[in-house]
Amino acid sequence: MALHQTPTAFDDVDPRKRVRNVALTFVAIGLGVLVLMLLESIGSSKLTQSLALFAIWGVATVSLNLINGTLGILSLGHHGFMLIGGYTTGLLILDEAARARILTSARSMMTEESLAISVTSMLRSLGLDALTTPETLWVRFLIAIFLGGLMAAFAGLIVGIPSLRLRGDYLAIVTFGFGEIIRLSASTRLFAEYTNGALGFPGLTSEFGKSIWWTFGVLAFTVFVISKLKFSSYGRAMQAIREDEVAAQAMGINLAYHKVLGFVISAFFAGVAGGLWVSWLGGVRLDFFLFQLTFFFLVAISAGGTGSITGVLLGTALVVFVRQYGDPLEQTYTLQQWLAFAGGALVLMAALAVLFRSLRRLRPRFHWSAGVLAGAAVLAFVIAAIDPAFLEGTFRGFGMRAIFLSVLLIAIMVFRPEGMIGRNEFSWAMLLRERRSGPTDEERGQDAWLTNPVLNPRGTDVDPEAGPQKPTAPGRAAARELDADWDEGVDEASRDGTDGSRAPDDGPDDGPDDERRR
Amino acid sequence: MSAPQLKRWLPWAILALLVLLIVWRMLYLGTVSERFNAAFFARAAIDSVKLGSLYALIALGYTMVYGIIRLINFAHGEVFMVGAFATYFLFTITPYSLPGGIALAIVMAYAAMRVTELFRGSMRDPLVLGVGVVAVVGLTWALTSFTWPFWAALVGSMLATGVLGLTIDRVAYVPLRTAPRNSLLITAIAVSFLLQNVGLLAFTNRQTPFRPDTPLNDPFTLVVAGQPVLTNNLLVAIPVITLVLVLALTSFVTRSRLGKAMRASAQDAEVAQMMGVSVNKVIATTFLLGSILAAAGGAMWGLNFGSLNQPATLGILPGIKAFAAAVIGGIGSLPGAVIGAMIIGFSENFMSALFPRTPTFQGVTEFKDTFAFVLLIIVLLVRPSGIVGEDLSEKV
Repeated sequence: MALHQTPTAFDDVDPRKRVRNVALTFVAIGLGVLVLMLLESIGSSKLTQSLALFAIWGVATVSLNLINGTLGILSLGHHGFMLIGGYTTGLLILDEAARARILTSARSMMTEESLAISVTSMLRSLGLDALTTPETLWVRFLIAIFLGGLMAAFAGLIVGIPSLRLRGDYLAIVTFGFGEIIRLSASTRLFAEYTNGALGFPGLTSEFGKSIWWTFGVLAFTVFVISKLKFSSYGRAMQAIREDEVAAQAMGINLAYHKVLGFVISAFFAGVAGGLWVSWLGGVRLDFFLFQLTFFFLVAISAGGTGSITGVLLGTALVVFVRQYGDPLEQTYTLQQWLAFAGGALVLMAALAVLFRSLRRLRPRFHWSAGVLAGAAVLAFVIAAIDPAFLEGTFRGFGMRAIFLSVLLIAIMVFRPEGMIGRNEFSWAMLLRERRSGPTDEERGQDAWLTNPVLNPRGTDVDPEAGPQKPTAPGRAAARELDADWDEGVDEASRDGTDGSRAPDDGPDDGPDDERRR
Repeated sequence: MSAPQLKRWLPWAILALLVLLIVWRMLYLGTVSERFNAAFFARAAIDSVKLGSLYALIALGYTMVYGIIRLINFAHGEVFMVGAFATYFLFTITPYSLPGGIALAIVMAYAAMRVTELFRGSMRDPLVLGVGVVAVVGLTWALTSFTWPFWAALVGSMLATGVLGLTIDRVAYVPLRTAPRNSLLITAIAVSFLLQNVGLLAFTNRQTPFRPDTPLNDPFTLVVAGQPVLTNNLLVAIPVITLVLVLALTSFVTRSRLGKAMRASAQDAEVAQMMGVSVNKVIATTFLLGSILAAAGGAMWGLNFGSLNQPATLGILPGIKAFAAAVIGGIGSLPGAVIGAMIIGFSENFMSALFPRTPTFQGVTEFKDTFAFVLLIIVLLVRPSGIVGEDLSEKV
């Protein structure tokens, strides 16, 4: 009996539900469009801009997540890919007036030949004059961001090659190095002909970058492609590489191919995001592509859940919200007010700490750290209340949003490294709280084969129809029995006394255990 | 020639070729213009030694931390930045008011206690406690009563920054000891970003002049091949201070009990723990020492350049270049860090000296900052263990 022909216990979506899911997806998309129309009709330009920014950064984070989450390589050079996409798009769609201005400007470093590069001239040389009218600007923009994506993908190919030799943090630092090399060389004379040095090109059209429809369209396309990829054989291979490179290689996965593929696709979408980003900003300049861009994406990914597209979008929403609506944090207040805020925040933190510890049934409930927080809060309040004259100066919270985001990232890494939703993806089954007839990921990794009649013809006491469950005691007994027969053993976890089931507190998945051993 | 032989000789051959090329280029430049005489290259060499020493001070912190917990401490460049600004504030805005003085004195006294503890083994030792009490009282008096000279500011900033290193380790890294290494690296990036922005908020957001009144800044004329090279006492002071600190660190690591524990933890932290080494304490010590050296580097960076960049950018480039130096020398090795730092320092200065901005050569100096990254990537790809490092290939 060929294994692949047999319906296995893992195949859990029944056809009727699949139809329902597709229908629900279309309804949701329709509802989403309606909501967007509603939000646009409110007419607040800040709101539409923030939504567009969410979509643009969403493209970037979803693509970064392909490397960081699916492939498990920490990549820190995303701002470099975005820069390439951004500059390419900028140069290609710059309008004639802006080109003329750059050419006549005394400080400009661009030449006539470099300024002649544009989608319009390309289309003209192809004889497609119909596409060079002002009404068809959107076609040219589409071509420009596509070409920007291709340029970035080429850079991704180059950056991806070291990933064949290096691993872990060395690879991370190399991607960071590449990102910085791209950024630092963009301003040198060698490339200034195309990048216009430190000046960049002002006066880009924001028609597309600030339009909800364009940005959300690109985001939907990105999410579609990347989620298809994630659940294809390529994506599974990438996830296998993430879990254990050596084991993946032993199973016949071509490491080089999948890693470079991941880098190229991710860089392509980063380039597209870069193109939208310069359009959102209305110009191209070097300092639009600082490392802090990648840092914000990292915060978004970690906050949402590394490896989960849904989670990453949630995280992006959080980061964009802080960036766009966090400006009250950066205004000028008196020191007294600042102290009061700080005291309030500390009280909140202490309360949360106590709540957290009591929910987790940790003892003592009043850990000394909560005491320290509360003490500091009391001190802040006392100073703010007793001595108003002491603190009459004002103080501008310059950079408080960045501080907030970095503190948030540290807190996530310390307290909840898996982020908001871990590696789980959104699915209708999850939303409708449907019980899966198949095993969970965790069971799949451990004693799932016990419930699979193909893999375990002897059968067990576990009823495959009973839904998700931890292996029950008889199941484990069967495992041990088989273990004795089978010298190679089932799984380390079922032998070392923990029975493969983790404490529920342990979080859904906190990375491969192998990481700890290294 | 067999492969191992080739492997042994190839680096030397490349090095010899490089030296030949450099000498040829220097001689050639000498024929082009009067400007490029021996004194010109002597100045470049002087700048290289100074810069290399500064990078070495930072690189030691990277290399020690990486050697033990395999963490690229991204925040180390920002520790260096804080060290530079702490020195600046100690020699400019002393005397402090009493509350500020007491708070700062407590911080510094704690670092002084930790440093004394390195030699006594316990925080409860009478000498350590004595140092603590004396330091709190003495420093409070000193901070609130007179303007500090540069050397005092240097020592004070080293102590204060040491506490910063300990705090970073305690708050951000200790909870992640068993976490995957990528989480640790992300946390380090977050700490670095946090310190940059806190620096912007707390210190300044513009370039700061850094001109303390110290004999180290006095001019000093060196005669090279009959021509005077105008420089200042820093030419001697920076390498000497670096050498003293590096020797002190090396002898601490090789001779003291805690140093032995440090080397043991670098070899295998788990086994060291089983043998009774308190690995957490060793790591904290590493952060303390690394931050102290970085602060010294920061103070002298300010002296050398006469000004400090704004906090968000000051630490990044020196930090990443020092990290490149640590990798080039062989990460985990103290002499390797110094060698790598000198390589970076020399390459940086000689790139501009050998390819000056002439109509034919416009581009090379612009790649000065990029070069460290390129070197880093090449070394990582070709020889990840660096010049003197041992093989760090990952075990499965």
